[in-house]
Amino acid sequence: MDIQRLKPHLPWITLIVLVAIVGINDPGFLRPSNLLGIAGDIVPLFIMALGLTFAIYIGGIDLSAQSMANMVTVVASVYLASMGAWVAVLCVLAGFLLGMLSGYVTTRLFVPSFISTLAVGGVAFSIAQWLSGQRALNMDATQRNETFGWMIGHTWGVPHELLIAAVLVGICLFIERRTTLGRALKAVGAGELAAAASGLNVARYKILAFAISGALAAIAGLLFAVKLSGGAPTIANGFLLPAIVAVLVGGTPLTGGVGGVVNTVIGTLIVAVIRASMLYFEIDATRQQIVFGFVLIVAIALTIDRAKLRTVK
Amino acid sequence: MTRRLSRETLIKWAPLLVLIALVIFFTALNPTFFSLRNFARIAIAAAPALMVAVGVTFIIVMGSIDLSMEGTVSMTAVSFAFIFAQLGGSLGGLGWVAIPLVLVLGGLIGVLNGLVHVKLKIPSFMASLAMGFVGTGAAILLTGGDIVKVSDAAFRGLLTVRWLGFPLMVYIAAFFLFAGWFIQTHTTLGRNFYAVGGGEDLAHASGLNVTRVRVTGFALAGVFYAIAAILVVARIGQAESVTGANFMFVSITSVVVGGVALWGGIGGVWNALVGVLIVNVIDNGMVVIGLPDFLQDGVLGLLVILAVVLSTDRKMVSFVK
Repeated sequence: MDIQRLKPHLPWITLIVLVAIVGINDPGFLRPSNLLGIAGDIVPLFIMALGLTFAIYIGGIDLSAQSMANMVTVVASVYLASMGAWVAVLCVLAGFLLGMLSGYVTTRLFVPSFISTLAVGGVAFSIAQWLSGQRALNMDATQRNETFGWMIGHTWGVPHELLIAAVLVGICLFIERRTTLGRALKAVGAGELAAAASGLNVARYKILAFAISGALAAIAGLLFAVKLSGGAPTIANGFLLPAIVAVLVGGTPLTGGVGGVVNTVIGTLIVAVIRASMLYFEIDATRQQIVFGFVLIVAIALTIDRAKLRTVK
Repeated sequence: MTRRLSRETLIKWAPLLVLIALVIFFTALNPTFFSLRNFARIAIAAAPALMVAVGVTFIIVMGSIDLSMEGTVSMTAVSFAFIFAQLGGSLGGLGWVAIPLVLVLGGLIGVLNGLVHVKLKIPSFMASLAMGFVGTGAAILLTGGDIVKVSDAAFRGLLTVRWLGFPLMVYIAAFFLFAGWFIQTHTTLGRNFYAVGGGEDLAHASGLNVTRVRVTGFALAGVFYAIAAILVVARIGQAESVTGANFMFVSITSVVVGGVALWGGIGGVWNALVGVLIVNVIDNGMVVIGLPDFLQDGVLGLLVILAVVLSTDRKMVSFVK
């Protein structure tokens, strides 16, 4: 069994090994209620990672995801009072449009995606600061419970966040596996020039991929705002690193083309288990960022398809 | 004899023209903008950013990118504050030793960045972004989230002692700007950066050790980030894990707006200077004419897109990721 054939299976093997290690050391970890709780807590991060999957799948990156989520927590907090449930539509639409803007700038104006998304992230940050007046905002508790309370409840011990995540995974899987869009994204990720040469409107599909990424980042922000019952322009800072890690340890390489939604599910669970295990092994929370930084490097190094990069810049 | 302005000439001088136009614009709206006091204010704000921008300029000239500055600046700032305190906390005593030590530390972090990038063959934006996260993480670990004060009067003199209206730190930044210019134009290393950025295959084929040039470039950038860190600590009198926050966005924006092409091979430290001044004049000018400061990131974001668009020869690029 050589390493190349093993590679696609590494993510779930890693996950099982990690769960086993933590489980042996702390049997309490494996209690269903504990596992469900851990899974429920990671959902906002997961949704952001799900969106990032699309951007990375086509060989790009979306560094605006965190700012987008930040902005949406503010938008949701500001407009919940006046718009009620419609604020959700506004949030998702804002994310989708800003994502489209990133995609447009990347594909039509030839700005590399890490710069274009960084720039659009700056725009989102400005909007967040402007709307919030640079303060932390709170939602009206009763109104939040009436409008979005269903998002964060429990049914028979299962957190509702997990149901939301499941629905979104279903939609994304459908897009990836059963639609023209999904096939087109795969083609773009596998070889953009070939895709363009065979008559695919590459730019349109890439713009859509960034738009989906933006919309999912917005949903992540909305859920986060509901959980915390408020928003602020920097409240979701710290999401970007683990979200990128989740996509990459799941096995979607930076070069795109392989991997996908299911990989990100596994990747996010790996991130969740790493986080939880740090708690159990009493590793200081302040070390988390260092650990994830190194995990990120290892994950990229293992997954990246170097045949696609003629020169590594 | 009128000659049509060529695209290259226009692009070369556009950033400087933009800077002059901005100065005239803000002066027209509020004459106090054009005063020594205000220029000193802009210079103080711009000095650390300039050091970061000069550092990353070398990397961008090579056609790579370095996004590790936030982590590196935080890490070196915090290290500086600790070492400085450990050595007596005074520039008059042994405290000055902290400065060379921290410059070396910055260089080592840069070497690490470069090695991760070239040895593991990871694109530089991601390698350096990941290392930046590690750097911020290390700074959090060192401080435990606390603020480390540096209140030595001699060291703070970098900010408080003024010559001709400008504090010492501005002259130090200017000195290192010239050092950067010297490296760029008068050393083999500087020529090699342009060789790698102009065409890596060609540089490699002519016998250049591209790997070594890249790693050295990242090391040099790390040293400049460390200088920036020391200047920041001198300016605000403290170091913490968020000392480097926002440097990434501002410095990349500055360098690109100043006219350094993201594709490599074009531009240099003077572009970095013009870019940093554009960004800081906009920041300062918006405050002076009474615009809210939250618009800055958005304006900078749009500006950077515009700059990349203008500097890209679209016939040359087939697609970007």
